[in-house]
Amino acid sequence: MMAGMGWSQQSNTSYKRRVLEASEVDLLFSYYNQDGQNAAVTGGEGTEELTDATSSIVLRMPMNEDDILTVDVGLSAYTSASSSNVNPLDGGVDVSPFDASSGESRKDVLAYINPTYEHSSDDRNTIWSANGYFSSEYDYVSIGFGGSFTKLFNEKNTEITLSGRVFLDKWNSQYPIELRNGFFDDRITGNGTYQPIFSEFENENRNSYSLSLSFSQILTPKLQGALFMDVVSQNGLLSTPFQRVYFSDFEDFFIDEFQLADNVEQLPESRFKLPVGGRLNYYLNDLVILRSYYRFYWDDWGVQSHTASLEAPIKLTDKFTLFPTYRYYTQTAADYFYPKEEALSTFEFYTSDYDLSDYDAHQYGMGVQYKDIFTSARVLSFGLKTINLRFSQYDRSDGLNAFIVTLGTTFVGN
Amino acid sequence: MQKLFWFIILLIGLNSCVVVREYDKVYVNDEEMQLSARPCERFETNFHIYREASAGANGGKTGGGCGCN
Repeated sequence: MMAGMGWSQQSNTSYKRRVLEASEVDLLFSYYNQDGQNAAVTGGEGTEELTDATSSIVLRMPMNEDDILTVDVGLSAYTSASSSNVNPLDGGVDVSPFDASSGESRKDVLAYINPTYEHSSDDRNTIWSANGYFSSEYDYVSIGFGGSFTKLFNEKNTEITLSGRVFLDKWNSQYPIELRNGFFDDRITGNGTYQPIFSEFENENRNSYSLSLSFSQILTPKLQGALFMDVVSQNGLLSTPFQRVYFSDFEDFFIDEFQLADNVEQLPESRFKLPVGGRLNYYLNDLVILRSYYRFYWDDWGVQSHTASLEAPIKLTDKFTLFPTYRYYTQTAADYFYPKEEALSTFEFYTSDYDLSDYDAHQYGMGVQYKDIFTSARVLSFGLKTINLRFSQYDRSDGLNAFIVTLGTTFVGN
Repeated sequence: MQKLFWFIILLIGLNSCVVVREYDKVYVNDEEMQLSARPCERFETNFHIYREASAGANGGKTGGGCGCN
């Protein structure tokens, strides 16, 4: 019996390498700024000025040898002309679509939490995960959940992942001020009587279902690639309730320079999306690596797009890496897109949101990474592993310009 | 474009029977060779989802959030 106990104790002490050796914390921050002259909130003409500051904390904790719990929480605070011009009358004296109102409606905060639990099999060839999602902002709440299953085979040269996600979202619809019940303003000018054809949306739910398949393959000791495909179905309120539309067959009415809405955008209550993409990474030499990405996208609203990007990390030293990036994007317009005053009131669907128009975009970026595998710099019991700083400039052919600065740090616990 | 696509598929197909052993994976295991997007790219992906009509097929979020601002 003693011999049996001894054997049992010995087998229990056999070492199994943990999937994650120590807790890790990512602290991420971004600052985004955009401007353009085609705001959807003012029917395709007006300022698109927006700034957003987002902070996120991602905590990865080993629960045991096989399991990892990841908790991703964040806050995003933004100030936008889109929000402010829902009610352009609550700010300054002169009312114009090319000025953001200074009223309280101009800013909002989005808060989210995204926990994920992941389990790996003893041979590390099978991984499953389950995740949840909750986010809230003034006019929108999103609840999501999902799961994934990953199988590695061919001596871990091949990996296939199947995942699914569901989002059950709900609008708290905010309509343009002039379309709300009881609106009156004696400054309205125009021929005749202001009579928009607006009625409130009855269904404020938006559900999204996605199924994703990814396949990755090591092709040579220096080359590996992956293919991705998503099938996404959305239904419910896919219009944005505060985005104005001006018809060509309606008289124009104004308060100062601000044109009053004829209606808000009307989009179908379902959308089917099919993106297919691939990555190909090549280890050119000890100095340079090439990371490429391409995606084709199709949906049943008439949008087709191509996205291509190339990143070339340059390893300057053991600790510093530069990564210049370039991204090209082009899309066709949705069937329901009309510039300002080109839609007819008799149409079933229409929008003047230039995000659904025909355009192309170029994005140029540069990043720098500092990495210390020995984590010699310490904060409390955590060692600093990496710092990433990244800047990108985004230029769209319709005149929208944006830039984003991102700072990310990773700390490892002991 | 179609020819390039099928060439890549063929390339993957031809190479998928090649097994790279663990001791030969020093290059593909390099952090820069990861086939997922970098953690700090997530915010860029977010604004692409907001500002562009298409999304998905990059291992990221494919739904949820109004993306309306």
